[in-house]
Amino acid sequence: MLYDIGMTIAYDYDHPANAGRHILRLMPADLPGLQRRITGALTITPEPAEQRALTDFFGNPGVEVVFREAHDEILFRLTSRVERLPQPRGFDISPPLSRLSTEIAEHRSLDASAPHHFLTASPRVALSPEITAWARAQVSPAMTVAAAVEAVGLAIHRDFDFDPDATTVDTPPAEAFARRRGVCQDFAHVMIAGLRGIGVPAGYVSGFLRTFPPPGQPRLEGADAMHAWVRTWCGWEAGWTEYDPTNAIAAGTDHIVVARGRDYGDVAPVKGVLRIAGEQSTEQAVDVVPVE
Amino acid sequence: MPTSARRQGRAGDEAAIARLLAGYHPPAGTSDELYDHEGAIRPVWREFIGHLAGLPPDDVTRRFARGDQYLRDAGVFYRQYDAKGANERDWPLSHVPVLIEEAEAESLSRGLIQRANLLEMVLADLYGENRLVANGHLPAGLIAANREWLRPLVGVRPRGGHFLHLVAFEIGRGPDGNWWVLGDRTQAPSGAGFALENRVATARVFSDFAAEIHVHRLAGFFRAFRGALQRLSPDPASRIAILTPGPLNDTYYEHAYIARYLGFMLLEGEDLAVEGGKVMVRTVDGLRPISVLWRRLDAAFADPLELDDTSRLGTPGLVGALREGSVTLVNALGSGVLESRALLAFLPRIAEELLGEPLLLPNIATWWCGQPTERAHVRANLDRLMIGSALSTRLPFEPDDATLLGRQLREGAPGEPADGAQGAFDDWIETNGASLVGQEAVVLSTTPAWVDGALVPRPMSLRVFLARTATGWEVMPGGFARIGNSLDPKAIAMQRGGSAADVWVVSPEPVDHVSLLEPRPGGFARTAPGVLPARAADNLFWLGRYVERAEGIMRMARAYHVRLAETADPEAPLTAHLAAYLERAGVELDRPIPHALTDVLVSAIISAGNVRDRFSIDGWMALNDLLKTANQLAGRVTEGDDAARALGVLLRKITGFSGLVHENMYRFTGWRFLSVGRSLERAITMAGALSAFADPGAPDGALDLAVEIGDSVMTHRQRYAVTTSRETVVDLLALDALNPRSVLYQLSEIRDHVAFLPDAEVNGQMSPLARRVLQLHTALAVETPGTVDPGALCDLVNDIGGLSTLLSDTYLR
Repeated sequence: MLYDIGMTIAYDYDHPANAGRHILRLMPADLPGLQRRITGALTITPEPAEQRALTDFFGNPGVEVVFREAHDEILFRLTSRVERLPQPRGFDISPPLSRLSTEIAEHRSLDASAPHHFLTASPRVALSPEITAWARAQVSPAMTVAAAVEAVGLAIHRDFDFDPDATTVDTPPAEAFARRRGVCQDFAHVMIAGLRGIGVPAGYVSGFLRTFPPPGQPRLEGADAMHAWVRTWCGWEAGWTEYDPTNAIAAGTDHIVVARGRDYGDVAPVKGVLRIAGEQSTEQAVDVVPVE
Repeated sequence: MPTSARRQGRAGDEAAIARLLAGYHPPAGTSDELYDHEGAIRPVWREFIGHLAGLPPDDVTRRFARGDQYLRDAGVFYRQYDAKGANERDWPLSHVPVLIEEAEAESLSRGLIQRANLLEMVLADLYGENRLVANGHLPAGLIAANREWLRPLVGVRPRGGHFLHLVAFEIGRGPDGNWWVLGDRTQAPSGAGFALENRVATARVFSDFAAEIHVHRLAGFFRAFRGALQRLSPDPASRIAILTPGPLNDTYYEHAYIARYLGFMLLEGEDLAVEGGKVMVRTVDGLRPISVLWRRLDAAFADPLELDDTSRLGTPGLVGALREGSVTLVNALGSGVLESRALLAFLPRIAEELLGEPLLLPNIATWWCGQPTERAHVRANLDRLMIGSALSTRLPFEPDDATLLGRQLREGAPGEPADGAQGAFDDWIETNGASLVGQEAVVLSTTPAWVDGALVPRPMSLRVFLARTATGWEVMPGGFARIGNSLDPKAIAMQRGGSAADVWVVSPEPVDHVSLLEPRPGGFARTAPGVLPARAADNLFWLGRYVERAEGIMRMARAYHVRLAETADPEAPLTAHLAAYLERAGVELDRPIPHALTDVLVSAIISAGNVRDRFSIDGWMALNDLLKTANQLAGRVTEGDDAARALGVLLRKITGFSGLVHENMYRFTGWRFLSVGRSLERAITMAGALSAFADPGAPDGALDLAVEIGDSVMTHRQRYAVTTSRETVVDLLALDALNPRSVLYQLSEIRDHVAFLPDAEVNGQMSPLARRVLQLHTALAVETPGTVDPGALCDLVNDIGGLSTLLSDTYLR
């Protein structure tokens, strides 16, 4: 699938910000065999005083920008053409849940794709006994890892309501879990907490969804802004797979990956430090159109 | 007790020593520092004990008091946390030092240097190739779960190649007499400065004796470390600074002390900015480069952009600057990963692997429960092991509710292994193994402490410091000893009532005299004054304002209570007028010592506390004494005469403080900010008071009141030889260029100080601030008493207040 992606993110400050430094993770990723970025352009207003490309620990490309003049708004505008390559859906070759910990322990590496980074609490995903117990109730030790992941994902879709007013970008997963409501970020965080709680390495993916579905299919939830889903390590042979709990589907050609990390904090599209007084407001608009 | 005990010869000495040690009985099953295993006094202690035994009891008391007095005068404190929050407590010095023979210290040094080198290699591997994980010497999961393994720093090689520059090891002596490492401190070890203060205080206690027995001095260690930091900076123009989390940190005193002692700037994260990949300090003179940061801030807080994004203590972009290799951090960000307990389980084998030799100094036996064999061992030996968090960085004796003896755990202490059932416990340890370690329960050696007039044995552990120099690791010949307040090894932590003692490494030969100052043959050179960080300038400016504001409140409140004492009528016109004026100024007369006064003194202390490295100890003590006195008086004085006298006491104290500061402070730029703050506040107070009391509509006696508030009663009498009139009062308090209380005088002070500030004049052009000050000064200088009406005085108050904003915009951002 070929897509044209357009996104704008605008920040508005009540009082001018004196200085700011941000890391932007907005550009669709180039993932061999999975996704190809054909073009990509990012424009920033006002013009930053400094701008520098970087690649983070998890391999995500980013841009660090520095503002030094007082400014009361910032506009990021992204345009990109991306090709998403279809993945054949093969057999389930993941081990049973009960054997996963042995396979993880045999993985003697700390590189970005090692499962170890995704097993314990991370800055925005604390493990919670309640979420763990709930996740455990969805699975059995004899299930394959892939089946267990799907079971937990389906349970989120079944038990949770999509409600943009219930949570904010900083809501911890335990709180979203207690309310059984939230948006894609909350669902992804709760699923990650649950899977880690039962010993399945799970990480966070940020990206885009195609805005309008193919004819005859329902429109997916989460297409108006940047979307989030979950990736899990399903053993040596199956490796990493991605699952979208908001829509209860395996991530496929409708999902365009921007960045991957342990939780939202690792992949926040605009991470930054501002010296401001007063409030700020944000607006985000996303358009993902298939190129016919 | 005979005062001539020392002269009574050997038999007398022995008798005195026997009396001194009558109550000294180390518990069975431990080592003792004073007695060897046969129960004989170790040779290194003999002279010291003989000396102590020869001192009459009242002399001992006097000497110990001398040490305590030194610590109080020096302002040494530590912060204790309890249910009510944090308190500053007197430094708990245990006056009897711990004595160690030179030969033993040297053998310890060899073991610790080996360990420091090993830790450097482990750290380089964890942030580099990760061969230890690949080869199975370290479990990947243990590192990945460690919050101090900082992913943004992976692959970042420190400038100069080294991660560690200053490390500390906590060591203790076990029952078999051998030393053990209890924990590694690699992130930002504290205590080196306290060790120095313990030394100074203990030297006061044994002033006539310490020199006789060849105690190694500490100054050489600090000189070597300072030299090493200077060599880390490739550019002599860029600077070295200590990075502190700020005054709320429990060891801030030490940060300020070390900064003063070594002559480094003390900075907080917000003092720094990163520009073009370089770390700069915001000074009153713009951004200046920083080359080396001795970090006392935990790494996660150091950069909110790439590390903990909730941190308010850090500098955004610092990690980026490290990637550019433009700054050295001491120690490197991420070095805290080595402090976790679980690592102790792997270091013995890693030493064999990386160094090809065993650890010379073993560490406390530790088993990580994430591996089946080790987990089984822990379960089998539960009763003599401590079970706790694998990633905890606490030392074995530090308070930690989550670490318990295995036996207690099995009995159900943490809640999880319920019902005391062995089966439930086994499940628990199986499930949570990866996050648990078992460690040998620590039995520390005992050492003499003076308690209620007698020597008693108390458990002890030592913190020893190592600094990397051009020629390798240098070990501090001494250290920081923790002494327990009971025989329970856990009572050793200061938060649990433990105390601190000096450590004497005693040589059989005389030792070199070393001081911090390099001997410099052929005279001396003045060094250039350091730069003034904008935040420090801001605090000094406000300190000047707050102290002057406090003085103004004292004068006005005193005037009020004098009137009240005279008339006994708060409704009398002048008294009511003054009360109304004070109220408009935010000073409620709800109690004789107004809350506004103690509040402003608290603000002054906060400002001073933010710049303790630039502030004399006497000044700091005087300011605290002032607040203490004000609070005491507030609790007991009554209105009228009593209050007036109490405020008089405070006024004398505050002028004493001002004298101390202004007479003794070197005329660096910082002093100018302090002085501008004082002048500005005084000018505002005076102009404000004149607008209210030299108002033609003010009640009778208001003019005399204005003169009294302006502390110019005598001057007025001498200058005018008439009773007060509106003209004479305005002339004296607003326009007189020679009266240090007048508005004009203060404006000319401000004008003079501002001329010395950076960029006050560039190519003959005045800065906006300098220009504005000159405008106000000139405008007032040409006025006459007749034209300075209350309206003009109100304008003046606003105009002078505007200078404060202008000053902040120019220098304090």
